[in-house]
Amino acid sequence: MVSESVRPVRLAALPLALFVVTALAEAAAVALSWGLEPWTDTAIYGVYSPAIAAAGLLVASRHPRSPIGWLMLWLGGSNAVFTDLAQGYGLRAIERGWPAGRVGEWTATSSVVMQMAPTFVLWLVFPTGRLLSRAWMSVAASGVVASVLVVGSYSFSHRSDSEFAGGLNPYIVEWLPTSAMWVVGNAFLVAAMVGSAAALVVRLHRSNGVERQQLKYIVFAVVAGAIVLPLGPFLWDRYPIMRAMVAIVLLAQPVAVCVAMFRYRLYDVDRVISRTISYGLVTAVTVGVYVISVVTLGALLGRTSAVATAGATLAAAAAFRPVRRRAQSLVDRRFDRNRYDALRRVEQFIDDLGNGRAAPEEVEALLRDVTSDQELTIHHRPHCDDTGGVVTAGAATSLPVRRGHALIATISASSALNERRSLLNDLLPHAGVAIEIAGLRTELRHQLDEVESSRARLVAVADEERRRLERDLHDGAQQRLVSIGLALRHAQHQLRDDESGAGDTLDAAVGEIAVAIDELRELAHGLRPSTLDTGLGPALRELAQRAPVPVTVDTTDARFGADAETTAYFVACEALTNAVKHAHANHVALHATASSGALVVRVADDGIGGATPTRGSGLRGLADRLSALGGTLTIDSGRTGTTVTARIPCAS
Amino acid sequence: MRVVIAEDQALLREGLARLFHDGGHEVVATVGDAEQLIDQIDRLMAAEQSADLVVVDIRMPPTFTTEGVEAARTIKQRHPGIGVLVLSQHIETAHTADLVTQSGFGYLLKDRVLDVTDFLGAAERVANGGSALDPKVIARLVTPDQHGPVGRLSERERDVLALMAEGLTNSAIAQRLFVSDRTVEAHIRHVLTKLDIPDTSDAHRRVLAVLMHLRAATEQP
Repeated sequence: MVSESVRPVRLAALPLALFVVTALAEAAAVALSWGLEPWTDTAIYGVYSPAIAAAGLLVASRHPRSPIGWLMLWLGGSNAVFTDLAQGYGLRAIERGWPAGRVGEWTATSSVVMQMAPTFVLWLVFPTGRLLSRAWMSVAASGVVASVLVVGSYSFSHRSDSEFAGGLNPYIVEWLPTSAMWVVGNAFLVAAMVGSAAALVVRLHRSNGVERQQLKYIVFAVVAGAIVLPLGPFLWDRYPIMRAMVAIVLLAQPVAVCVAMFRYRLYDVDRVISRTISYGLVTAVTVGVYVISVVTLGALLGRTSAVATAGATLAAAAAFRPVRRRAQSLVDRRFDRNRYDALRRVEQFIDDLGNGRAAPEEVEALLRDVTSDQELTIHHRPHCDDTGGVVTAGAATSLPVRRGHALIATISASSALNERRSLLNDLLPHAGVAIEIAGLRTELRHQLDEVESSRARLVAVADEERRRLERDLHDGAQQRLVSIGLALRHAQHQLRDDESGAGDTLDAAVGEIAVAIDELRELAHGLRPSTLDTGLGPALRELAQRAPVPVTVDTTDARFGADAETTAYFVACEALTNAVKHAHANHVALHATASSGALVVRVADDGIGGATPTRGSGLRGLADRLSALGGTLTIDSGRTGTTVTARIPCAS
Repeated sequence: MRVVIAEDQALLREGLARLFHDGGHEVVATVGDAEQLIDQIDRLMAAEQSADLVVVDIRMPPTFTTEGVEAARTIKQRHPGIGVLVLSQHIETAHTADLVTQSGFGYLLKDRVLDVTDFLGAAERVANGGSALDPKVIARLVTPDQHGPVGRLSERERDVLALMAEGLTNSAIAQRLFVSDRTVEAHIRHVLTKLDIPDTSDAHRRVLAVLMHLRAATEQP
């Protein structure tokens, strides 16, 4: 039986009624027997019956076709009514002289018959609700036979004398062969116990996925019960903690069934089991070390030596950490092979990484491999992908990867991630360093690519600029000088026969020289305006005066580095040109301010907007130039108006 | 000499026209781009009014790249008898390589126009089916190459070769180099032998052979 997901359980009427009966009966039983037996007995069984009935209520409500919930309701209900309530009535009746007190005591004594076989059946059908095969019916039959024979022989012989207030079983049936029944019954009992435990083991062996996890829960509870409960009678009086242990293991079974059936944090069962076992081992070894140390040191130094106690404590404390690590590793290797192997492989990988035998990028393939999830993907931050690290649709769920407090990546995986979350949580502290390195390398490559393409663009811009300059010189000043030369030659020719004409020609030539000088000045200005020598402020004001549209200038008169000032000037130039040429602006506002270690230039126009840095190589070239200085260029352009802001870091 | 001038810059166009006029030549038309030039030439030839020389700027509208060369090529194809003198701001042999070996073709830097006598001389040479290559173009062609045939020439022989390639006659070369005609003839024989070019008394065909040879040599890798 596999439930699909965690969702609220709607309690069904009949299971709820049975639970209420159980709870009321138990309440009455507790009231009746209070003070007449050790209070721990009253309390433990007062909790046990309602707990197992409550588990039955939940399971039966969710899975009414499965016998598991009903079996648990039966176990809780029969225990409450026929064992606890009957016993309580028996005890109270005998004290108060009410009728049928003995009947109550005897009913409680013999009622175990109602619970023994159902418990075996529960083990046999868990968690599917069906037997593994019909052959396992014989185990259930053994359980029935065993409970009839054992409980029969117990209830009708002197074996149960201690259960009665008078110290004598009043319902002896002499003709019953109770001794033979006892022997045969116990044989069947052992067979039923072994058989039903074997059913769990067989299922565990054959199962995988969710069912395996479910089984691990119940096996854990059963094994805990098998270890603790037999110790109960011996240690009950001497160690009060034993009473708590009994209560815990008794409750463990219904709790385990509930947890298994509802898949609540199902994936952590491995951890629960391995931690329990490893801490058990650690406790045993540490105590052993302590005892041996006390004995050894005591023999050497005298029995009551405080030094011996202190030394033993030190030895035990020193042994604790290595023992814990060894025990954990031993237990993991034995009980949780997958996790153990996965951890070893990740550790081996990190070792290889340190020795240069592995590349950090291989970590994704490794994690896919050890979690058997080919959909697992690592999304690095901040350059995870173009969506800014938002895990793509289709990936069912994601897991953050942290180093210190920083989120360095997220891992997305298929919908099966929930079952692997615990494993990944164990692996990530080890794999995190590789993920971080891979992320840094990815980012580094990204930035290098950006630097390379930006450098290529800068070179292209410089080449284009040189071509433009060459053309301007050839087609402008040089042509003009040639034509002036021609005019002078003509004047030379005229001097022979038309002297007044020569004067006009020379005047025209001098006029051309003035124009050529202007052209050269413009050209030089395009390279770097000389007004920049007096500061960015004067240069920008001069730029504004020459612009064909009104430009308001608000600029600081502070001085900055030559690079920063020149770049700021060209940003203003380009933005102003764009505003006039492309955006058809009527007015432009030019700001230049010093702001926390940076020169900030802002050019805002009232044009048609729609500017992007990818359109027009001018802005792109400026962005590259800015990034070469460690600055940024932002373009805010909507339906109307464009604001270009350049931020240039500078010392002053 | 009847001259057609194609130059997009008005000042230079007027200056060139004045230069030819001052030199005693007739400027039959001046135009501002290659398309007009070809129209003008076609119209002139159709009207059986011949033109002896076309002076054309290499860069003209609309793209300001090689419009002049394209027009020159078209004119040489349609009217091989017309001399074409291409003017350029700088040397680019890539587009003119096939033209320099044709008769009646010249390729000069624009600033040569200030050397009025030489310029007009070159223009007349081209109009008469000779060639006139700018010394800088020639210099690029006769740059000594260790492994090339030009590398085998002496310095003096290279000077003579360069002047031959410019299109000068034996006596003009002798004047330029301040040596006797006989010395020039001796140098020329050596050059032609070393370059394995058959000698011919026709000075013009000799120039073409030399240019053809140089072009082939520079085009080899």
